[in-house]
Amino acid sequence: MSSDFLELKNLSKFYGNIIALTGVTTTVNPGEVTCVLGDNGAGKSTFIKILAGVHQHDEGELVLEGNKVRFASPREALTAGIATVYQDLAMVPLMSVWRNFFLGQEPKKGVWPFRQIDIDKSKMIAKAEMAKMGIDIRDTEQSVGTLSGGERQSVAIARASYFGARVLILDEPTSALGVKQSGVVLRRIVEARDQGLAVIFITHNPNHAYPVGDRFVILQRGRSLGNWAKDELSQSELTQLMAGGAELEQLQHELSQTSAN
Amino acid sequence: MNESNVISAEQVAAGDSAVADEPLDERLALRGPIQQLLTRPEIGALLGAVGVWMLFWLVSAPFGTVGGTANFLDVAAYLGLMAVPVALLMIGGEFDLSAGAMTGATAIIAILLAIDVNGAGLGLHLAVPLSLAFALAIGWFNGTLVEKTSLPSFIVTLGTFFMLIGAKLGFSKLFTNKVLVEGLDEAEGYDFWNGIFGAEWLRNGHLWDERRWSGFWLLRDEIWAGLLICGSLALLLGLFELTYARRSKLNVSGVVIALAGAAAALVGFGALLELDGRNSNIVYGTLTAAGMIAAVAGWCRARYERPDHSDSGVSPGWIKYLLAGLAAVGAAVVLAVVMNAEDSSQLGFFGGDFGRALFALGIALVGVLAVLAALGRVSPGYPAIGAVLVAVPSISFLVTVQAARAILFGGLALIGITLLWSAASRVRPSVWVTGAISVVIALLAFFIQSEAGSRKIRVELFTLLLLVALVLGAAAVARYLSASRTSAPPPPAFGRWTQICAVLGVAATVIFFAVEVADGDAVLYALITGVTKGGITAFIAYTLVTAVFTLFTRDEGVGRALVTVGIGTVMLAVVTRMLFVTGAELEKICTVGSDGELRCPQTQFGVVVLSFVVFAAVGSWVLTRTQFGSWIMAVGGNKEAARSVGVPAARTKTTLFMLVSGAAWITGMLIAFRLTAVQADVGDGNEFRYIIVAVVGGCLLTGGYGSALGAAVGAVIWGMISQGIGFAQWNSDWRFLVLGALLLVAVLVNNYVRSRAEKAPVKSGATVPDRSGITIIVPKGLTRSKEEG
Ligand SMILES: Nc1ncnc2c1ncn2[C@@H]1O[C@H](COP(=O)(O)OP(=O)(O)OP(=O)(O)O)[C@@H](O)[C@H]1O
Ligand SMILES: [Mg+2]
Repeated sequence: MSSDFLELKNLSKFYGNIIALTGVTTTVNPGEVTCVLGDNGAGKSTFIKILAGVHQHDEGELVLEGNKVRFASPREALTAGIATVYQDLAMVPLMSVWRNFFLGQEPKKGVWPFRQIDIDKSKMIAKAEMAKMGIDIRDTEQSVGTLSGGERQSVAIARASYFGARVLILDEPTSALGVKQSGVVLRRIVEARDQGLAVIFITHNPNHAYPVGDRFVILQRGRSLGNWAKDELSQSELTQLMAGGAELEQLQHELSQTSAN
Repeated sequence: MNESNVISAEQVAAGDSAVADEPLDERLALRGPIQQLLTRPEIGALLGAVGVWMLFWLVSAPFGTVGGTANFLDVAAYLGLMAVPVALLMIGGEFDLSAGAMTGATAIIAILLAIDVNGAGLGLHLAVPLSLAFALAIGWFNGTLVEKTSLPSFIVTLGTFFMLIGAKLGFSKLFTNKVLVEGLDEAEGYDFWNGIFGAEWLRNGHLWDERRWSGFWLLRDEIWAGLLICGSLALLLGLFELTYARRSKLNVSGVVIALAGAAAALVGFGALLELDGRNSNIVYGTLTAAGMIAAVAGWCRARYERPDHSDSGVSPGWIKYLLAGLAAVGAAVVLAVVMNAEDSSQLGFFGGDFGRALFALGIALVGVLAVLAALGRVSPGYPAIGAVLVAVPSISFLVTVQAARAILFGGLALIGITLLWSAASRVRPSVWVTGAISVVIALLAFFIQSEAGSRKIRVELFTLLLLVALVLGAAAVARYLSASRTSAPPPPAFGRWTQICAVLGVAATVIFFAVEVADGDAVLYALITGVTKGGITAFIAYTLVTAVFTLFTRDEGVGRALVTVGIGTVMLAVVTRMLFVTGAELEKICTVGSDGELRCPQTQFGVVVLSFVVFAAVGSWVLTRTQFGSWIMAVGGNKEAARSVGVPAARTKTTLFMLVSGAAWITGMLIAFRLTAVQADVGDGNEFRYIIVAVVGGCLLTGGYGSALGAAVGAVIWGMISQGIGFAQWNSDWRFLVLGALLLVAVLVNNYVRSRAEKAPVKSGATVPDRSGITIIVPKGLTRSKEEG
C-alpha cells in the first residue's frame, strides 16, 4: 500500500461558471475503501465522474500507476478497470435487465459478420449476479423501468461489481436499499477490498461509512477538507464532520493538529 | 412402440435434472407464445397488414394475384428500404429529415458525374462509388454536427434537407440546363452497373438466363399446398411445445389415438380430393376434421402433462357470456339462411332483410354486452362490437356492392381478431370461447360457400376460414387437455446440430456455385442460385434434425425450432406459388403470336424487392441480436446513461446517420437505373413517409423503442393501400384520406393491443395452478400489479 495506485493532484472542475471542484488532492490505494463524504452539492459525484471518465478535469492531474491519464470517455475508464455505480444509476428504463446489465460490454459469440450477443449467457449471468445481491429477479427480460427503486439500484451495483477489475466506485449505492440488501452491499465492498480492488464509496450514512471505510475524504463546497485514516477518527467525530455546520471549522482545526497530513 | 422406451430412459437421465436446475419463479404469470407476440412493438402493423390485405383482396380481383403482389411490393420496397434504417435511427433517438432528398441527390450526382457534360464524364465505374462517398459524407456530417453541437437533429437535418434540395436543382440547371437529368444509359459502364441495380426476376419468363430457368413447374400446386400444410402443422406443434409442459413418460394410448386420427384425416382428405358431390363432401369433410382433432387430442395426451381441472371449471359468468354469444351468432346464422338471396337489392345482401336483421342484432348485442360490461363480466369496450354491427347496414346504403362486402368482411375480421385476442389473453376457461369461435368460423365458412356470388370468395375464403376454424379447434382441444407452463422456454439444446446444418448449407452453396460456374453461367447468377440451393439444403437438414429432436429427446426448447421451421416452410410455399407457374396457367394466360411464338405476360420482381427483404431481415437481426442493436436502443432510451456505462454514444449515432444516407444511396441508384433520367425533385418529401411508416411499425417518436421488422411491415401496408386503391377502382382523390385513417387505426391498434397484452392476463379472482401446485396470479411485463405488494 506504499506505492500510490491512483493519485489526484489539485483537481479542479468547472461547469461553465460554476466551480464544482477546486484543488482536490488525494490518493486511492488498492485494497482500501476510500469513503468520500460531504454535504449535498459538495462535489462528490463530480469527483467520481472525473475518475469514471464521464467528465474531464479542467485543472490538476490524475495519475494512475505513475502515468498521467485523462479518460476521454467512460469506455476508456472501464477499459482501465474502473467500474462505477452512478447516483442516477445510469440505466435505460425501456431496456430489459440483462441488456442493461451488459450494456457496453455484451458477451458475444460467432464469427465476425455473424457475431451476435450471447443472450442466454447474458441472462444467466445477470440472474446469478443479482441472486448474489440477494435479489431474486423474476425474469431478466423485465424492463428496468418497471423494477422497484431498490431492485434497480441492485442491478447497477451488481453490474459494476461484475465488471470492476481494479477500481470500484459506488455513489450512494445504499440510498434505496432495504436492510438486508444494504448489508449485502457493504459485504461486497469489503470483499472487493479484500480481493485487492480500490473501492471508492460515497454515502451520507456514517453507520455505513465507518465500518467499511479505511480512509475518509471530506469535501465541502468543492474543496477537500482533508484525508483521514480510520484510526484517526472515531465514528462520532466522523458523524460530526459529515454534519458540517458551524462546529465544523472548529473540529477541523482540532483534528488538523493530530492529523498526519 | 419401442420409441417410448427410448424416451423414458432418456428422460430419467436428462429431463428431470433439467427441471430441478431451473425452478420456475412463482411470481411469474403464465404467458403463452401468442400473448408474448401481442406485446411486440410490430403487432399493430402485422394485424393492420393482414386486415388491409383482406380488404383489398376482397374488393379487387387483381390485387391478390402475383401481378398485384409484385406491384404493391415494388412500392413498398422503395419505401421500406429507407424506412428500416430510418426506424433504427429513430430508435436511436434522432431524425433525419434529409433522407428523402438524399435519395434523389445520390441519383443526380451519379448521373451528372457519369455522363459526358462538356466532354468530362467520369463514367459509372467512378461515379457510382463517388456518389456513395458523398452520401456517407453527408451522413457523417449530419451525425457529427448533431453530436458536437447537441442541437436537435430535427434542426440540423432540416438544414441539410434544404441544402440538398437547392444543390440538386442548382447543379441540374447548371450542367444540363434542365430540371431533368438524363442519359444514364449512355454512360460508360452502364451494362455492368445495370446488371446490379437494374436486375429483375421475371415470372413466366426467365431468371437471368433463358436456357436455365423457365419458371414452369407442373407439380407446383401439389408442392406449394403440401409445403403450406406441413408448415402450418410445424407452427401449430411449435406453439404447443412452447405453451405446454411435457410429460415425463410418453403415453402409448395417446400415440395410438394420434396415429389413428392422422390416418383418418389423410384418408378423408384423399377422398375429398378424389370424390365430388355434396354427400361425399359432408362425410369426408367431417372425417378429415374429426381425424385432425383426434390426432391433436392424441398428441396432447401422449406428450403433455394433464391439467388439473378440479378448480378451473367454467364459471357461471363464462357460461352466461358464452350462451349470449352463441345465441347471437345462432340468430345471425338463422337470419342469414332464412334470407332470400334473390330478393336482395343491388346493394347485395345488405340492402334487404339481412341488413335490417343485422341492425336489430347489433342493437341487441350492444344491450347484452353492455349489461355484461356493467356486471364486470366483459371489458367496457365490448359493446362496441354491437355498434359496429349496427353501423354496417347503415354504411351499406352509402356505398357500392363491392365496398359493402369489403366492410362486411373487414368487420368480421375485426370481430374475429378481437375475440381471438381476448381468448388468447385469458386463462383456462377460455377454451370454451376458443372452441365456440372455431365452430362459428366453420359455420360462417359454409354459409359463405353457399351464399357468396364470386368463385374467388366461395372457394378461397371458404378454405381459409375452414383452416382457421380447424386450427382454433385444435388449439382449444390442446388447451383443454394440457397443463400450461410459464413462458421463456430454454433455447434448443441441439446447438452443435444447428452448426452442422449451417456448415452443410455453406458447403452446398459452394458446390452448387461451382457447378453453375463450371456450366458456364454468369458469376452473379451462379452465386444467387448457389445461395438459394444451399439455403434450402441447410433448411431441410435443420427440419430433419428438429423432427428427430421433437420425437426422441426431452429438449424443452424444441418448440422454438419447430416455429422457425413452420415459418420458413410457409414462406417457401408462398414464394413457390409466386415464382412458378403451372402448365394450365400458362395455357390460360399465354397467346400464340402470328409468328408461332408463345407470348406470355410477365411479372417482374425488381432487385429492389430483394434488397428490401434483406434490409428488413438484417435490420431486425442487428437490432435484436447484436451489440450494435443494444447500443441503438440504449442511446435512444437514455443517452447519458449509455455513455456512462461505456457505450460510444457519439459513434453509434453517427453510424446510424451514415446507415440512413447509405440506404439513401442504394435507393437512389435503384431509382436512377430504373428511370435512367431523374427529376431534380425526386424523393423530396419522402422523409415524412419513412417516419410515418416507422411509427406505424411501432417505433416511439421519442426513441429507445421500436422494431425494424415493424417498419418493413408498415411499408408493406403503405404499398398495399396506395396501390390497392387503384386496383379497387376507388376514386383516388380520397386516397390520402383513406391512407391517413388507416395509418391512424394501425397506430391506435398497436397501442391498445400492447397495453392490453402487457396488463394482467388473468381475470380478477381467477387463479392458475402451476406445476408445483403453488397458486400464482401475478403478471410480469411493463405494468406492476397490486398483488405484488
Ligand atoms: N452538469 C452540471 N452543470 C452545472 N453544474 C453542475 C453539473 N453537475 C453538477 N453541478 C453542480 O456542481 C455541484 C456539485 O455537484 P455534485 O453532483 O458533485 O454534488 P454531490 O456532492 O454529489 O451532491 P449530492 O450529495 O446531493 O449527491 C453542485 O452545486 C451542482 O449544482
Ligand atoms: Mg451526488
